[in-house]
Amino acid sequence: MTTITESAVRRRNGPDWWRWTGRLFLVLLLGFTVMPMVWMIITSLKTGFAAMQYPPQWWPAEPTLQNYTRLLDPSGRIGQDFLHYFWNSLWVSTITTILAVVVAVPAAYAFSRFRFPGRNFLFFAVLLRNMFPAVVFLVPLFILMKALGLVNTHGSLILTYLTFGLPLAIWLLKGFYDNIPIQLEQAARIDGATRFQAFIYIVMPLSTPGIIATSIYSFIGAWNEYIYAYTFLTKQSQMTLPVGIQRFFSENATDWPGLMAATFIMSVPVVVLFLVLQKYFVRALTEGAVKH
Amino acid sequence: MSSVQGQAIFRDVPGPAPKQASLGQRMYTSRFDYLYIAPALLVMLIVIAYPVYYTIELSFYKTPASLSLADKTFTGIDNYRTVLTSAIFWKVTWQTIIWTVLSTLFSFLLGLGAALALHRAFIGRALLRGLLLIPWVVSAVAASYVWKWLYHSDFGAIGALLNQIGLTKGPVNFIDNSTTSLYALIVVNVWKEFSFAMIMLMAGLQTVPESLLRAAQVDGASAWQRFWHVTLPQLQGVSTVTILLLVVQNFNSFIIPFIMTGGGPVGSTQIWITHIYELAFLRQNWGVGAAYAVLLFLIMMVLGYFYVRALTRGDDKRAGA
Amino acid sequence: MAGIVLQHVMKTYGNMYAVNDVSFTVNDGEFVALVGPSGCGKTTTLNLIAGLLPMSGGDISIGNRVVNDLDPKDRDIAMVFQNYALYPQKSVYKNLAFPLQMRKLPKEEIDRKVQDAAKLLDITHLLERKPRELSGGQQQRVALGRALVRDPAVFLMDEPLSNLDAKLRVQMRSEIKRFHHNLNATVVYVTHDQLEAVTMADKMAVMNGGLLQQYDTPANVFSNPVNTFVASFVGSPAMSLIPLEAAGNSLRSPEGWELPLSPANVRKAAGSTTKDIVLGARHSTLKLHKSAVPGSVPGKVYTVEPTGDVTFAQVFINGAVVNISLAPSVVIAPDEMVWIEFDQDRMHLFDGATTMALQAA
Repeated sequence: MTTITESAVRRRNGPDWWRWTGRLFLVLLLGFTVMPMVWMIITSLKTGFAAMQYPPQWWPAEPTLQNYTRLLDPSGRIGQDFLHYFWNSLWVSTITTILAVVVAVPAAYAFSRFRFPGRNFLFFAVLLRNMFPAVVFLVPLFILMKALGLVNTHGSLILTYLTFGLPLAIWLLKGFYDNIPIQLEQAARIDGATRFQAFIYIVMPLSTPGIIATSIYSFIGAWNEYIYAYTFLTKQSQMTLPVGIQRFFSENATDWPGLMAATFIMSVPVVVLFLVLQKYFVRALTEGAVKH
Repeated sequence: MSSVQGQAIFRDVPGPAPKQASLGQRMYTSRFDYLYIAPALLVMLIVIAYPVYYTIELSFYKTPASLSLADKTFTGIDNYRTVLTSAIFWKVTWQTIIWTVLSTLFSFLLGLGAALALHRAFIGRALLRGLLLIPWVVSAVAASYVWKWLYHSDFGAIGALLNQIGLTKGPVNFIDNSTTSLYALIVVNVWKEFSFAMIMLMAGLQTVPESLLRAAQVDGASAWQRFWHVTLPQLQGVSTVTILLLVVQNFNSFIIPFIMTGGGPVGSTQIWITHIYELAFLRQNWGVGAAYAVLLFLIMMVLGYFYVRALTRGDDKRAGA
Repeated sequence: MAGIVLQHVMKTYGNMYAVNDVSFTVNDGEFVALVGPSGCGKTTTLNLIAGLLPMSGGDISIGNRVVNDLDPKDRDIAMVFQNYALYPQKSVYKNLAFPLQMRKLPKEEIDRKVQDAAKLLDITHLLERKPRELSGGQQQRVALGRALVRDPAVFLMDEPLSNLDAKLRVQMRSEIKRFHHNLNATVVYVTHDQLEAVTMADKMAVMNGGLLQQYDTPANVFSNPVNTFVASFVGSPAMSLIPLEAAGNSLRSPEGWELPLSPANVRKAAGSTTKDIVLGARHSTLKLHKSAVPGSVPGKVYTVEPTGDVTFAQVFINGAVVNISLAPSVVIAPDEMVWIEFDQDRMHLFDGATTMALQAA
């Protein structure tokens, strides 16, 4: 323990010192975070020739959008393929998200409100799904999908992605339901609602932020997934973006500006989605999951 | 109708303890509750229970490269023996430990620093938080390509930058060099996931009661003492969950090493998961790969126990009906 | 309107009794308070009447109809919750309309009833607001309004005043009483505050440890508590209880003094199962003397609390704290030795072993 005078002196000097350290730290961290993204964009604005120079052009001498127009041109072969991948990703991610919410909402509600035998065990089992890496399930799931006739279909991906998203979705949503006073549902049931009506009219509207947060998480997870898509899909026409762009550029591996443009386009939807809705995600973590 | 008006009713001793309903009875009474979780359980059962069973089975057999299950032969624990006696096992394990520990440590520290610096409100905080979160949101595939390009030995921006400020001379090899490759990948991994720690800890910080910090201030605690004695203990729960999740995530990393180096050069970035992938899919050595996977299950079960315990702390104290 | 009958009602959690064999009858139009310390089972009992929890045994009827297996919505009840449980996303108007919508009433009728209820509770100007924009007292009125808007058979109230500040609580207390009087409604009212129960209720049911201790009018509970628990729970300040020993025609203290008993009290004391007897007395029945008088016992002043028109003093007698009320003119100081005289007709004797009140044989 320090004496009061000692700490009083330190308190007078303390906050400023702390604040400046914090600011410096944030600036450095921001540089570390943003630099790769900036370089990705700068490179994507160069021609293949301009990118292969030493020392590099820190700013493109002749900025060009040709990499983007080529990827997004529906009349060219590359554009057609790329747009196809994009559409596949969008489709798989959207369906996964909808199903994840439909499945997670009742499960989270039950884990929050009911005390049935086996509740803890089942809740643990659901949470444990997060512990297993995708790779160790590849072989058995591939065989399973083959048996179900789902290989080379988006169904195989959707079914698999559903299980990635579910544990966190259930956990986040359960946190939300835990914070909704049970008296609101009791009041509704006394006011003439059935259990189900109380859930639909009272609980659901109050858990919208949680459902939005869950949806973002599921969507991003599905959009970014690589390993299963890489294994389950062999047909070009079915491929999603993370696998698709790889196929593209491993053929002529040196087209770095094109690859950067493709990763940029691939990142835009999830980044925009997340930035617009991030407050829900942060709120979900703060109100539900982290607080005990 | 009997009336007990004006009558004093008193029982001085509580009756005998009630008979507890049997498990079956209780399950029957809550049979409708299970309907809520049935869809989730069904999906999880298909996609988890079967693969786990199948992997365990594979690990005790020798299965031909064609994966034709009819031709597999039982070999007992041979596959496990192969795993534990091979020289590469210890090399890969050591690299996995370095990868997991360093990635977790730096992600957590950067995330904690960012969360603390962002806790105080200032103009542009939401924007800054958003920018810092982008790496966590973009796909690991995109991150791997971007960093591969940054590390490029001929035209990479980082090498060129180091040359220009005079720290190095000539091209720098980051990932084509077996002494630096693992650490270069750890940087990418930290870049990708420190903001996960940040967002978790930011959420945790908001639950630190302001009154506690005020009380500490009145008691004469310096900013550092307040952090050390008040904030940090309050963050313990979130920190445990965050660190556990980071450890699991890092232990299970695949995309970054797979795309950036494919485990090379000379196996210097090979970690458990990429090694399992290589054994199974590139060498069709299904049994040994499965044995690795089962060992990994066991490790994960141990981590999972702590994870679940941390997550559900205080859960039963909450009201429910 | 309708009465409520509880017969041998049970609620168990695992191997614990939350409500243990509780039976009582609420007559049509009666205001009954369920009162007891926290965890005594009073809220559980209310939730069983509401149907929010399944019963483990017994029967509950509302208006001559057994409701054991009915959903809350089919029991024709309304409930006011401790935290009001107003639907946060709905306006006051929609909160009031919700019970009517659930019963599929026509729109015009809903509007008429909501307006009537709002007028009755003087909340018409708040109808478009959201609950979080209201003060505690206003939320309380809205909660009441939502209960009375559909004219239920029974009103259940779960500590409706405990979230209000002291002044508002007194005001709402009389308003609820007035509301009960105007509607001639059957009300079951849960509270941990015995003063609320005594001031508002026609009858009070005192509970402890899941057991119903006494069910009677507040006046009878106050003057004839059945055991030491009820005696110490009801009344403010509480009845003072002094553990003593029977010795012939008097009670003896381990401190050495003896208190002679009247013949009636001697007969009561003879009914005790052991020699241990607890002497109970309300503050207003005690007299304080500065010197020993016959029939008084010695004590030491602990604290003195003047409140204006009456002064309360706490006196240690035989290790027990005894409350006594004094005229404001009396001057005593802490640690002063005083003598307390008991009123033989208004003292209570309890069996020291069973805690039951002793009756004259």
